[in-house]
Amino acid sequence: MARYGPNEHDVLIVGGGGAGLRAAIAVAETNPELSIAVVSKVYPMRSHTVSAEGGSAAVIKDNDSFDDHAYDTISGGDWLCDQDAVEAFVKEAPKELLQLEHWGCPWSREEDGSIAVRSFGGMTNKRTWFAADKTGFHLLHTMFQTTMKYDPIQRYDEYYVTRLLVDNGRCQGVVAIELATGKIEAIAARSVIMCTGGCGRIFPFTTNGNIKTGDGMAFAYREGVPLKDMEFVQYHPTGLPFTGILITEAARAEGGHLLNKDGYRYLQDYDLGEPKPEPIHRSMELGPRDRLSQAFEKEEEKGRTIEGPYGSYIHLDIQHLGEEIIDRKLPFVRELCLKYENIDPVKEMIPVRPVVHYMMGGIDTDIHGATKLDGLYAAGETACVSINGANRLGSNSLTELLVFGARAGQAAAEFASEQKPFSSALEALATDESRRIEKGFFSENGSNPESIASIRQEMYQAMEKGVGIYRSEDSLERSQEKIQELQERLMNVSIEDHSYTFNTELVAALELSNMLDISEAIIQSALQRTESRGSHQRVNYPDRDDEHFLAHSMAYKSEVGPPKIEYQPVTITRWPPGERVYGH
Amino acid sequence: MAEEFSIHLKVWRQEGPDQPGKLVDYTLNNVNEHMSFLEMLDVLNEQIVAEGKEDPVEFDYDCREGICGSCNLVINGRAHGPKAMTCTCQLHMRNYSDGDTIVVEPFRAKAFPVIKDLVVDRSAFDRIVEVGGYVSIKTGSAPDANSIPIDKSVADTAFDYATCIGCGACVAACPNSSASLFTGAKLAHLNRLPQGEPERKKRTIAMVEQMEEEGFGDCSNYAECEAVCPKGISISAIAEMRRNYMKAALAGEEV
Ligand SMILES: Cc1cc2nc3c(=O)[nH]c(=O)nc-3n(C[C@H](O)[C@H](O)[C@H](O)COP(=O)(O)OP(=O)(O)OC[C@H]3O[C@@H](n4cnc5c(N)ncnc54)[C@H](O)[C@@H]3O)c2cc1C
Ligand code: SF4
Ligand code: FES
Repeated sequence: MARYGPNEHDVLIVGGGGAGLRAAIAVAETNPELSIAVVSKVYPMRSHTVSAEGGSAAVIKDNDSFDDHAYDTISGGDWLCDQDAVEAFVKEAPKELLQLEHWGCPWSREEDGSIAVRSFGGMTNKRTWFAADKTGFHLLHTMFQTTMKYDPIQRYDEYYVTRLLVDNGRCQGVVAIELATGKIEAIAARSVIMCTGGCGRIFPFTTNGNIKTGDGMAFAYREGVPLKDMEFVQYHPTGLPFTGILITEAARAEGGHLLNKDGYRYLQDYDLGEPKPEPIHRSMELGPRDRLSQAFEKEEEKGRTIEGPYGSYIHLDIQHLGEEIIDRKLPFVRELCLKYENIDPVKEMIPVRPVVHYMMGGIDTDIHGATKLDGLYAAGETACVSINGANRLGSNSLTELLVFGARAGQAAAEFASEQKPFSSALEALATDESRRIEKGFFSENGSNPESIASIRQEMYQAMEKGVGIYRSEDSLERSQEKIQELQERLMNVSIEDHSYTFNTELVAALELSNMLDISEAIIQSALQRTESRGSHQRVNYPDRDDEHFLAHSMAYKSEVGPPKIEYQPVTITRWPPGERVYGH
Repeated sequence: MAEEFSIHLKVWRQEGPDQPGKLVDYTLNNVNEHMSFLEMLDVLNEQIVAEGKEDPVEFDYDCREGICGSCNLVINGRAHGPKAMTCTCQLHMRNYSDGDTIVVEPFRAKAFPVIKDLVVDRSAFDRIVEVGGYVSIKTGSAPDANSIPIDKSVADTAFDYATCIGCGACVAACPNSSASLFTGAKLAHLNRLPQGEPERKKRTIAMVEQMEEEGFGDCSNYAECEAVCPKGISISAIAEMRRNYMKAALAGEEV
């Protein structure tokens, strides 16, 4: 198309995970005339969506209803979800999963040929679709292959975005480094969709892969877009000690038990119901993740967990399911245990402990994925719509990528179709950025050079101590100071590798600066929320306080020092705040 | 803590695509059985960086869980190393003992040019998919179609073929550098499902021809591909692909 320069597009999507690819397809379908760029720091199939195991939630069976799915999501989120967003989400969810099926996604089937669904934590009914325990892989793969049929979609694989191009109050593209050559260039676009995923990597012990450094959140934040509800960090109750590799919730949905060091199903002591041999919805091992991870901490305090070389743990026992069911329904669980722990879950118990897993918070958007900055949209884990509130239910995230990826794609396509002209300042902005990178990281910085590894290590410590499962004012304040100190010390980092091809050290430094900015937003939001809600538990404020905090935290970046936190009301449509009841 | 032992490595080093490469010797004295193979290479790189004489070794990986298909190494002559149904990233040092020599090379094939050291360009696979590895027929508005019921055994077989992670080990292992197992798996997945069936002929011809165009070789039934495939894709996929290709080509239809 002649009207485009080499690096000019209508819609640019940062991220080739589930949200990014779904958005790209939506743009192509909304307006086939638009030129689309998908920019990703790794090959799209290496995006983290690929490792989702358990499944994707959507109402499909006759005994289920949209209202049930909505209520489960809202109560699971401790009433911090925006209910208009949740209502849209549950209604569009089945359409999206069926759409995927039409694109060739091999959903697992029941004997009669209909879609198979499984139970998941916090859900009243079976509504989690799965492709054995490789759901994320098949979901992403199906969309990746589908994007290949649209000519207007152009991929920039292994390009690392370093900032947004914003001029005249409008987002008009990004600056990116082509990793293979080290070339820094502007890629202009009439609208940009951030689909950069979560930021679990700011914690030392996480299920998240190396690439989940929250880059997109940091870019939006630096341009004045608020980060919403950042204090809500999900700990998944069952990670393998040391590696943090996730044992999917499906293991409990199929009937796995959590046992303390005495072999006792301890969840019965935490208001999560009576132990029954069969799994019961919204009860015991099928309670929500925040409550299960909190129960672990209490059990640890009582000295009823098991001490191991990599921290204390409890046992997940699936032996009673038998080899046949384990191999048929949870083959990947067995594979992971054998390969990483040298344990066969058919004959042995699996050691597990809570592990950082998911960010409920993210870039603030409306229900169309639009941010407060013109031309900038966001979807997926990096965004906060919010349907997850204070605690996400397992299997809602994959569906969220599809529903809100599609919505953001459509909205961004409509915005781009207005064909607003590009500012002339874009090239200059890109030149500034490449100078910033070279000056900031390649020059000798003073007499006291810092190492990336040590700053990262200290960030891990600060985050683990300050914003763990239970948080105190004191530790939060100390972590906030630490992060500020680290931000200053990062200025003194000088990179030894000056080569331009695959400079992993440079990328590590840029990612670290993003993670530090996000960390300050998480800590400050946590500090100011003096209540306990969902995954955010404050030691001296054990109760939920709807009077003051039935509101989203909005973190705005400050020139210096911690961010400014404002509050935005939660949208309530049909479900007034109530008590979260599980196990009854 | 586990006991440490020594390993000798011969690692393929190559500056760039058109540069000559060679095997370079290294010795590591601090390997332990709990390390994964990739962690062992991280340790090698720490050692190389500390010595400060050369660049660290470039190798690809991401998920470290056997799903993304990027950790592609030929280890002692075998793609993904000695263990069946295992990707490089899932291989552990407990499979080796003190004093062992391990040769580490990239996946080699004309269609997979080396970018640097152990990293190769596998975009040829993408181009095979681009010509037909998807469903483009409109299958009706989604909700009323309410999931086309699919016989469980058909769905399960399609699922098995869909587990291919596109790693390219089949190509690296094949004496002809054929991509038949990969392409066959893609075809066997989509051609089998009701929504993919209408485009079967067109898809088969396009993907087979693209495979040839990319410079992958023919299949001579060595079955080396099946042996190294970390996902256990069966070579019946290749027979099926050939049958479908012959049928479509013989029919001489407009495709
Ligand atoms: C182990 C695990 C299991 C899970 N299981 C489930 C499950 O069963 N069900 C469920 O609903 N959810 C699950 N989740 C959560 C869910 O998988 C994630 O929330 C979701 O996949 C995130 O998708 P995404 O598209 O937002 O981001 P990602 O898939 O993380 O993709 C991010 C993309 O952004 C790109 N990117 C990032 N930064 C940059 C940059 N600076 N420049 C260029 N590109 C960039 C990356 O290259 C990547 O392509 C699981 C999560 C984990 C970690
Ligand atoms: S068929 Fe097997 S070896 Fe070949 S690309 Fe697919 S997973 Fe890898
Ligand atoms: S690193 Fe992903 S398959 Fe090995």
